[in-house]
Amino acid sequence: MTRRTAPRAVLLATGELLAWWAALALLWLVLITSVDTLERIVGASCAALGAILARLGRRAVTWR
Amino acid sequence: MNGWILAATVALGGGGAAALWGVTTGPPARRVIAQNLTTSAFCPALLLLAQGYGRPAYVDLALLLALLGPVGTLVFARLLSDDLSAQDASAWGLTWTAAVLGAAAVVALCVAVGPGRAMVKLLVIGVLLIGGNVIASRALAGGFRGVRGG
Repeated sequence: MTRRTAPRAVLLATGELLAWWAALALLWLVLITSVDTLERIVGASCAALGAILARLGRRAVTWR
Repeated sequence: MNGWILAATVALGGGGAAALWGVTTGPPARRVIAQNLTTSAFCPALLLLAQGYGRPAYVDLALLLALLGPVGTLVFARLLSDDLSAQDASAWGLTWTAAVLGAAAVVALCVAVGPGRAMVKLLVIGVLLIGGNVIASRALAGGFRGVRGG
């Protein structure tokens, strides 16, 4: 039997990941020299990976 | 030679010489403070050089230095914590002087490049430089000794 995660926890996690992703993608767009489609795709991918790592790191130091 | 390169030369020469003197003489606390302040001298100099030569890509060097310099100092603060707790390793006058000089360089460069993404990048570097330096100075002065795992 699989344990169901509470919808509230899922919402909170999604919100946190989205906030990290937005902040990191914005940082990417600020730091690059020229903005084009390839840079946007690479930046969005890197920000997604970074958002997951940032959430893992944040949970590791707060250990709720 | 223009004003930017002249200012960078003064920062590199003056700051570099002072830092070299501090790093090579005196007790460990003084040396590690001087090592920490090299970032504050070299990072604005790199920003000024990028503007002086008209090569915005060189700004990335300053960004890396502003990011990695304080991290390196935190490693020293951890490794030398026994030596540093025995001596007074606080240098707030120098820290804030370096912070004001860095802020002045960043503001001057922001005025020169005008509003846009380049200006935001400069401001990010300035915040990293000053914030990182203040945190590293506080770590050297023993400000985080009570922190868990610190």
